[in-house]
Amino acid sequence: MERNELEKQLFEIISQLYNKDVEELTTETRFKEDLGGASVLMVGLVSEIENELDVMIQLQDAAACETIGDLADKVEEEL
Amino acid sequence: MSILEKLSLAAKERPMRVAFPEGENEKMMQAAYECAAEGCIYAILAGDSEKLRSLASERGYDPERFIYADLQDETLKADLIAKYVALPDTRLKEKALARRMQDPLYFAMVMQAAGEADVTFAGINYTTEDVLLAGQMIIGLKEGISTVSSIGLCEIPGFQGSEGELLAVGDSAVCANPTAEQLADIAISACETVKALLNWEPRCAFISYSTLGSGQGVLIDKVREAVKLAQEKRPDLLLDGEFQLDAAIVPAVAEKKVKRESAVAGKANVLIWPDLNVGNAGVKLIQILGHADAYGPLLQGFKKIICDCSRSAPVSELKGNIIMSAIRASAG
Repeated sequence: MERNELEKQLFEIISQLYNKDVEELTTETRFKEDLGGASVLMVGLVSEIENELDVMIQLQDAAACETIGDLADKVEEEL
Repeated sequence: MSILEKLSLAAKERPMRVAFPEGENEKMMQAAYECAAEGCIYAILAGDSEKLRSLASERGYDPERFIYADLQDETLKADLIAKYVALPDTRLKEKALARRMQDPLYFAMVMQAAGEADVTFAGINYTTEDVLLAGQMIIGLKEGISTVSSIGLCEIPGFQGSEGELLAVGDSAVCANPTAEQLADIAISACETVKALLNWEPRCAFISYSTLGSGQGVLIDKVREAVKLAQEKRPDLLLDGEFQLDAAIVPAVAEKKVKRESAVAGKANVLIWPDLNVGNAGVKLIQILGHADAYGPLLQGFKKIICDCSRSAPVSELKGNIIMSAIRASAG
């Protein structure tokens, strides 16, 4: 999968889970500071990545990502 | 009769189906077997059924005492997946679920979510993080609850509280630094846990180093906010604070320090710690200085009952936790 396509899919997943507009999201968007939300959302994120991208990311690895770009790197490693 | 003996009798009245994803573990198999043989539960071992049967025989147990859920049984797996994906608000789709179900912990939880088991009991090999993640992914949190947490049940010799020698305390194990909202949810979950397990009317005190404004500071502000949120969310429950520990459980101190009506002060049967620093120290003080038996942690906040035991738990502790989990499940 191309990097652009991967980021686009991540933006869509994250926008739904965190209730944000896709247009608001960039690879620089930070999970804690910009998106906030309960830690249980991260479980949802890992599950959706598994469903939609067929990649298993460990929760602790996803939780360690500061930005969406970091998460894309992590998913890309597993693809 | 100890509290565990009383709970064992209650469990026998309506045995629940408990799924064990770590049945190969010797201590876990012994605890599951003894609970099943005593009539407290139906023990389901999730894993390689041939190996589990063989281990049971080698260890001197009647293999027929267990129910087996074989991870390689494709018919069972397909049936469970179909039931699971038909449920509302589930996270994983078929393909991802099938992959996760190669792990006995996930297999057991899918059985539970699908209504084929009442409890998932794990933690002798799996870490707490493993159990909590699987629980959040497969079982999910209760409606309106924002965090997983736990309570412990302490049996304190000589303590003359409102429930005799028993006192429930939480969270001493899971939620490290709860926000006010999470602290409110921990208290609400704790009330539901003691009601289900012990049929108590919960009287829940939020613990602080201040009693109703006797002190000031950000640490107290959080607790005070949690009390307000919890009371707004569940006006049907007896939740009050902030109280110092003595004002919460000693009637004479409550009379002196609490200058308003409170159904909780001086007679709390559930104590909610402000964070895990206090919770961990608190429960150890009760155990070491109060010579108490502490049972748990009892996980709470999930839609169904999941138990994460200590990895160093002896068989007796495992059995206690199995029985308490079964009773909580039987309460619905």
